[in-house]
Amino acid sequence: MSQKKLILSEEELVLALRNREKVAVEALYDMYSASLFGVISRIVIDEATAEDVLQETFVKIWHSFSGYSEDKGRLFTWMVNIARNLSIDKLRSKDFRNHSKNQELENNVTSIDQQRNTVYKPELVGIKELTQALKPEQKSILDLVYFKGYTHVEAADELGIPLGTIKTRLRMAIIELRKHFN
Amino acid sequence: MEDVKSFIESGILELYVLGDVSPAERREVEAMVQKHPAVRAELDEIEKALEFYAFENAVEPSAKQRAKVLNSLVVNLADDRIFTKKETLTEPAVITMRQQAGSNFYKYAFAACIILLLASIAVIYNLNNRLQERTQQLLAANSQNQQIAKTVNYMDEQLGVFRDTSYKILRLKGTKNLPGGNVLIAWNPVKKKVMIDLKSLNMPINDKDHQYQLWALVGGKPIDLGVFDKLARDTTEMKQMKPVALAQAFAVTREPKGGSVNPTMSEMMLIGQF
Repeated sequence: MSQKKLILSEEELVLALRNREKVAVEALYDMYSASLFGVISRIVIDEATAEDVLQETFVKIWHSFSGYSEDKGRLFTWMVNIARNLSIDKLRSKDFRNHSKNQELENNVTSIDQQRNTVYKPELVGIKELTQALKPEQKSILDLVYFKGYTHVEAADELGIPLGTIKTRLRMAIIELRKHFN
Repeated sequence: MEDVKSFIESGILELYVLGDVSPAERREVEAMVQKHPAVRAELDEIEKALEFYAFENAVEPSAKQRAKVLNSLVVNLADDRIFTKKETLTEPAVITMRQQAGSNFYKYAFAACIILLLASIAVIYNLNNRLQERTQQLLAANSQNQQIAKTVNYMDEQLGVFRDTSYKILRLKGTKNLPGGNVLIAWNPVKKKVMIDLKSLNMPINDKDHQYQLWALVGGKPIDLGVFDKLARDTTEMKQMKPVALAQAFAVTREPKGGSVNPTMSEMMLIGQF
């Protein structure tokens, strides 16, 4: 557990991945596995299945890396969409549906947070503040779309809120995050 | 510029980052990002904010996942490298094939040699057995041959007695003790040899306490010429008796076993004179 984590800048990492360097694989895992697993494990509740999806995610990132372009956005955005799509695919696959009970959405989010300790990062000061800064209706929409893989249309349906309002709340939530991030 | 502002405020960039756009909307966003640095800057801010949010909500996977994931990627990495190397290795591959064909030839040649060796050993073993058999047959035939030669020699010798004119042949006849008895005696006065032909001996078989004794009468005196037996079995033997140079007559008496110094006249069986 005491292994040193490998951290590269995003530019260095992208270059190393393009060159198919072994070091890129380790840095990629050390830098992003926890963030990606946070998304995956909130969609796919079963831990062993979530770990499978995590592996599939890295395999897909590695194999389809030529599909990534800096022009279209940041590396993490591209990767987290892969992770989310693979998670949703797993959730919708027949064997997984047979295997796990349908659980109430809201319950899942809260039970996850109870089951898992979110990683405490001392370098990120003001995180509690940030989470509390989001209004509950902003957070619920953001979590539905970001951590549960709902489309905004599905979220509107689920929450019984007009589509326009969903979009606005989503934007407001992210603007709120940006304030704290900056 | 108004265009850009309303585009940003529509919230489409957020949905783009969340992967929640149609292909047409995706192309529109990408075109706007290329065209307007302000849109790019806004997109970057949204991305960073959500990346930050994900980082805040990170869940550390179990420690063993790292090795599992890295191994699955490194295996793929290794596969790629092997594949690229293979393409440059056509020439040595051909040489290897040739070497293999050569070593195959020696392998088969070696196998053939061993088979030949085994076959040869089997043939040699078989021939050796037969040779020994023949040798034994030959030895048996040889000893038989010697036996026959010996017999022939012996008989030739006996026959020579009758052919030799220096031998005098005398038939002894039965006395009143043994009417009808007789035997042939061959005497060579020069060589002083006396032979008795046991085949022609016509006398009763002597018991184990008695033997027949041959005498030569020289000037009226009996001279012992040795004892002999009438055997139950048939024989072609001519027995050589003790030598005598002069004799007027020969006689056979029955004596106790081993013979007597003087003949027992009452036991005179055969007599013959020249």
